[in-house]
Amino acid sequence: MDFDFGSLLAFIIFGVTIGVVYGIVALGISLIYSGLDIVHFAHGEIYMFGAFLGLVLSQQIGIPYPGAMIGAMVLAALLGMFIERVFYRRLTRSGGGYTVAGMGMIICGFGMSVALMNVAFLIWGADAEPFPVEFGIEPLEINDISIPPSYLLTAVVSLCLMGILNYFLRYTKIGLAVRAVAHNKDIAFLMGINVPLFISLIFGLACALAAAAGVLVGPMQSVQVEMGYLMLMKAFAAAVVGGFGSLPGALIGGILVGIFENLGAAYISASHKDIYAFLLLILVLMYRPAGLFGVVAKVKA
Amino acid sequence: MLNIKEVHSGYGKLKILRGINLNVPQGGVVALLGGNGTGKSTLLKTISGLVPVMEGSIEFDGQIISGKKPHEIVRSGLVQVTQSKEAYPAMTVEENLMLGAFTRSDSGGVRADLEKVYEFFPVLRQRRKVLSGTLSGGEVQMLVIGRGLMAKPKMLMLDEPSAALAPKVVLEIFSNIYKISQTGVTILIVEQNVRMALLLAQYAYIIRDGVIMIEGSAEDLINDSSVKDSFLGGTVANTKKSLNS
Ligand SMILES: Nc1ncnc2c1ncn2[C@@H]1O[C@H](COP(=O)(O)OP(=O)(O)O)[C@@H](O)[C@H]1O
Ligand SMILES: [Mg+2]
Repeated sequence: MDFDFGSLLAFIIFGVTIGVVYGIVALGISLIYSGLDIVHFAHGEIYMFGAFLGLVLSQQIGIPYPGAMIGAMVLAALLGMFIERVFYRRLTRSGGGYTVAGMGMIICGFGMSVALMNVAFLIWGADAEPFPVEFGIEPLEINDISIPPSYLLTAVVSLCLMGILNYFLRYTKIGLAVRAVAHNKDIAFLMGINVPLFISLIFGLACALAAAAGVLVGPMQSVQVEMGYLMLMKAFAAAVVGGFGSLPGALIGGILVGIFENLGAAYISASHKDIYAFLLLILVLMYRPAGLFGVVAKVKA
Repeated sequence: MLNIKEVHSGYGKLKILRGINLNVPQGGVVALLGGNGTGKSTLLKTISGLVPVMEGSIEFDGQIISGKKPHEIVRSGLVQVTQSKEAYPAMTVEENLMLGAFTRSDSGGVRADLEKVYEFFPVLRQRRKVLSGTLSGGEVQMLVIGRGLMAKPKMLMLDEPSAALAPKVVLEIFSNIYKISQTGVTILIVEQNVRMALLLAQYAYIIRDGVIMIEGSAEDLINDSSVKDSFLGGTVANTKKSLNS
């Protein structure tokens, strides 16, 4: 195959667009990690639920695509808050991280992942559902490769979501309180912050981001009960590459994973596309365990 | 203002405090003294609701607060200033201060109080855009006290404000605490620096192994020879030495 600069550029652009989606899912995983001290292993299923909810809202109920996305985000946030309150709260209250309860939490997350997958299976069945959306914009042509509108839109919407989240965390009073809760719950309590409520809020926020990713990816691929697993792994890789708990790191980690896997698929072997993310994950863990942008791992008492 | 009756508390099944009785009158300054690991911080955390009360009751400003959640207790005007190293290091000085005012919705009043805190601790104004993780020990202590003031407290509880600070800085911090009490804020101060605490407080309690051993007016305790020998001996001598040098 001839080396051609235009197609390299196109592969990178494809990588970046899917990468920002990994980034917003990773952002949610990072948020939950800093707020609840747990790695949420059922986050891929929240993403899958988000995709199905978006599909139902836009195709069956007929809400326009942007409205369906917001609706799916709200519903996924409520679902997440419900799961957190009812199933996770007891475990996280007795400590996360490296404690026995932390181990229980990991297993509980896996259990939740299987349970949610089965609920989705009961409701929507095992078939891959197409999620056709008419965006009304022209594909972007770069040399011979055209980038479909869904990819362009995905990148723009993801970046907007991140921008909004960044503004919220940095410049609003509630965002300040979210950061306080994420860093130290006892002090946050002493500031008069209703910590349990904020933990639910953080969880809901992370689930809303995952749902947005689901609604964005749906039109690119299709919506299917088992779609969550790979997304979880790639978002997890993105979070680790960027440094767990670092928000800009999640974005950059996502983009790196996206580029890496697209270049691997293009120049090494397309049939092993999903391996490259893990290759990157392992390389980063071997040489920079704190991630590219991570500070020294946060060890909590 | 604060009334603690027969309070028992601890962590999980481990009981630390065993029947504490303590009283802080409105507008007063009361000191809680004792060595390391005797339960001083546990008592403050119990009052502020971070550690659950097992037995007994705590009344603040005419209301029973034992059993309430920490964020509710803060809203009733009782604010705990955490131990010195507990600012949010990744937030700026001003963000930390604004966090102190989280419970308030009077943005005009918050602005005015921020100005007051900056007048009180001019060094915080200079460093307001700086991440608080880069501050010196004395500056962090001023920051956490200022953050406590931002909540507009009726009563302030301070946990070892002198810990790990140079004597000159300790003097400055204590004179600021004195000024705060002059503005009408009731104060409960936990200290190992017995000398300084007894100069500031009107009344003091000495705690040991989760029990109040001695209580009395600050004057009486300073002059009580048995107190000197069994509790204050080393500490007073050391403080005197460092103050004289
Ligand atoms: N989170 C905790 N869990 C279990 N025991 C604790 C905890 N915090 C403090 N302790 C124990 O409680 C006792 C009193 O501690 P503390 O109140 O911090 O003492 P002080 O503030 O007087 O130095 C100590 O024996 C300490 O080991
Ligand atoms: Mg202590």
